[in-house]
Amino acid sequence: MNGTKTLLKLCPLLVPYAALFCGGVFLTVGQSFGWMTPVPYDGGRFEAYAGLLSSPSFYASFLFSLQVGAVSAFFAVTVGTLLAYGVWKLPVRLQTTALVYKIPLILPHIAVAFVVMLLWSRSGILASLAHSVGWIDTLREFPNVLYSGWGLGMILAYALKGTPFVMLLVMALLVHFDPRQIQTARMLGASKARVFFRIVLPRVAPAMHTAFIILFLYSFGAFDIPFVLGESRPGMLSLHVYNLYFKRDLARRPEAMAILVIMFCFAAFFIMAYSGIVRRLESSERKV
Amino acid sequence: MFPNKHLTLLLGAWLVLVLSGSVQAGKTPLLERPFEEIEKQAEGTEVRWYMYGGWAHVNAWVDTYVARELKERYNIRLIRVPMDAGVFVNKLLNEKAAGKRNGTIDLLWINGENFKNAKEAGLLFGPFASGLPNVRQLVDPDSMAYDFGYPVEGYEAPFGKAQFVFEYDAAAIDAPPRTVAALKAWIRAHPGRFTYPQPPDFTGSAFIRQIFYAVTGGHEQYLDGYDPDLFARQSPKLWAWLNEIEPGLWQEGQTYPKDSATLDTLFARGEVAFGMSYHPPHAQNKILEGTYPDTVRTFVLEDGSIYNIHYTTIPFNAPNKAGAMVLSNFLLSVDAQLSKYRPTAWGDFPALDPRRLSPRDRKRFQAVDLGPATLRPAELVPVAVPEIPSRYLEALEQGWEEHVLR
Repeated sequence: MNGTKTLLKLCPLLVPYAALFCGGVFLTVGQSFGWMTPVPYDGGRFEAYAGLLSSPSFYASFLFSLQVGAVSAFFAVTVGTLLAYGVWKLPVRLQTTALVYKIPLILPHIAVAFVVMLLWSRSGILASLAHSVGWIDTLREFPNVLYSGWGLGMILAYALKGTPFVMLLVMALLVHFDPRQIQTARMLGASKARVFFRIVLPRVAPAMHTAFIILFLYSFGAFDIPFVLGESRPGMLSLHVYNLYFKRDLARRPEAMAILVIMFCFAAFFIMAYSGIVRRLESSERKV
Repeated sequence: MFPNKHLTLLLGAWLVLVLSGSVQAGKTPLLERPFEEIEKQAEGTEVRWYMYGGWAHVNAWVDTYVARELKERYNIRLIRVPMDAGVFVNKLLNEKAAGKRNGTIDLLWINGENFKNAKEAGLLFGPFASGLPNVRQLVDPDSMAYDFGYPVEGYEAPFGKAQFVFEYDAAAIDAPPRTVAALKAWIRAHPGRFTYPQPPDFTGSAFIRQIFYAVTGGHEQYLDGYDPDLFARQSPKLWAWLNEIEPGLWQEGQTYPKDSATLDTLFARGEVAFGMSYHPPHAQNKILEGTYPDTVRTFVLEDGSIYNIHYTTIPFNAPNKAGAMVLSNFLLSVDAQLSKYRPTAWGDFPALDPRRLSPRDRKRFQAVDLGPATLRPAELVPVAVPEIPSRYLEALEQGWEEHVLR
């Protein structure tokens, strides 16, 4: 009885969700099998998937997208947590000035991408600075950050955007954290590092896990930053889908949709696997 | 096929309902009415023209000249909506799938693959082109029979003409390479100073098509439609050529500019020595805009330079088809084509047949000063080669990813 009531109350939210999200997923999956495609599709049901799974370039793009997502999310979570802890330890008066960390949060991703490009390209601000200071003789000596083949530009942009996000989540947990726990531990002779790893870290770990999942999956699949900072090879999956969808023949629509379905399945699988591992780790820690 | 059938049935039933409704209104179909009546019907209406919005000067020309003339001559209000062709084709696809009969787009600026996609998916209204007086009087029917090898059949009306040119700074380079072979030698002698936009970018894709013609013995063999055996035999020569220049490209060919705008920036900053464009007046526009130095000039390769016609077309669910036809017809008028031809406005080449113009109008076109950076038709026409059929285009873009990018 109570359950039905709650469901009814949630209706204004659930109905658009079901219609839009589930409808979109349904259409994507359908088109990936060649159903409901804009032009009649004469390939087999699984042809798009078979083609992708036998193409080395698909794996290269997939792995590269994973790598960009994982490195940037790891970097953002590490730095963000340390900074959040640092800000939390500041005197209250300084904490308000530390609010500047929120600036990248309100910048759109595409703006952050342009900031990174302006700063780091070989004809950019940092290169010009290094040149005028005399560290490099010509602009060509400036490290080729944006076209290194490692996606460093994208990683920088995602990390810049992700770090304050992690800080926000971690600080929310730290607000309710009693500093006397730390003082007690210090009095009992724990080192600063030990305090951080044994007392603070377990406390903020849930926020870190959530932040990592969100940032990793976002940068794995997002489009705007790769559109500005992406390289030709290996290409990000999202750009590949964009090209297939908007610039190539309509007959390739199932392929674009199949990539999206694979990305979606991977994201779902990753969330399950990650939370499973975290749960197992936590329970084993408790046993110790 | 099962769900498709259901969908078709549903759509069909719904269409019958809708059509019976409109028949009751009892009007002669638009396409059978004389143009004067269409003009009268369009009076006082609003036309929404969806077009690529990446060129500020083109936007300005449409917003000022076209909007003003349309208002004065036909009392039609023009609304320009900037949107990439691939995006509006997808928008129409979704509208069609959702059964939206009253759309928001009246006229599209389109050609090539996007036209083929739209026509194949039944997104277009028509055939309307032969109903436009300016098409009948001023355009050579042969020039608008095929669009990238795909039959037009009156589903789009010509708007302008484009041809592929290279750009260079005459202050930095005395004599640019004039053949494909010389271009390759130049790239090898000057590592890091050349690149092309990554296909499927429009310009980059046109660049590799042009090289394809040149290294496989000309365009004639491809014009009869797609031949997979021929493609399998000839395309390796193109991949070999492109792979041989790759180490000498910008960033050692590790990465390619994402689109032609990125290449323009690299060229303007002097990172690469050559720009390229599918629009002969592009360099002159950039000079007038202040982005390129005054010393930039354009050239074509003797092996051939691809040209195409670009068009306007009307979606199946355009709310104001009469207004769209009036605009499409006006864009082909001598006045509009002449205004468009001036480099201060846009510089786009006319789609009209010079032989069909009155001697006075012909003179007016000849009198237009194209500016020092734009080649004259006399230099462009002798090397002009037609576009390849779309199936080849798709195969080349796919092959580029497999053989050059990997």
